[in-house]
Amino acid sequence: MRRYETTYILRPNLGEEQFSEIIERTNKIIKGDGGAIINLERWGNKKLAFEIKKESFGQYVYFDYAAPGSTVHEMERIFRIDDRVLRFLTVKLADAIDEATIASETERAVATAAAKTAKAAEANRPDAENDVETDEEFTDVD
Amino acid sequence: MPPRKRMFRPRVCRFCTEKDLVIDYKDVKSLRNLITERGKIIPRRIYGTCAKHQRHVAEAIKRARHLALIPYSGQNLY
Repeated sequence: MRRYETTYILRPNLGEEQFSEIIERTNKIIKGDGGAIINLERWGNKKLAFEIKKESFGQYVYFDYAAPGSTVHEMERIFRIDDRVLRFLTVKLADAIDEATIASETERAVATAAAKTAKAAEANRPDAENDVETDEEFTDVD
Repeated sequence: MPPRKRMFRPRVCRFCTEKDLVIDYKDVKSLRNLITERGKIIPRRIYGTCAKHQRHVAEAIKRARHLALIPYSGQNLY
């Protein structure tokens, strides 16, 4: 088992359903071969630095996983066939990874993701009491 | 011919002195400092990076370009 990370870009106008379908399918390939997903991040819709297949925006998906090399080969083959995938890039992070590292890294990824969302939530609502008031104000304006 | 201008060049590689600087193709903000307005990789002789780190920088920039995070060429930076 090796540790890899893959970023792929999907066409932006597919809709949430197809995004999750593609992500599900990719995750299934990894897990089906005895691999494990360590971290999955949706970077969301980002502007591309240049057009790819006439698209100027792209839906970025990044994930970090442990899998044997043949799985990566299979996954990339499917990416190449699929028209909805604009680009993909796989980078090897480590030559070998054991169960314990997978577990601890997954935990760490979950923790950082939680911290990130908490921080974002905090930034949006600095004060809970104030928040209720502002919400009311907004509804009044509406 | 006028005398050649001497450009300031840091004597040591910044990635060697500052250990917490990591070169990552996903980190577009810091990669922006390592390319010119035209999107070219800034050469070693200007930046003073050591051979090893310049190699890492070049690799990261090329990866970021592949993912359309930074342009291959052109001034229109987003």
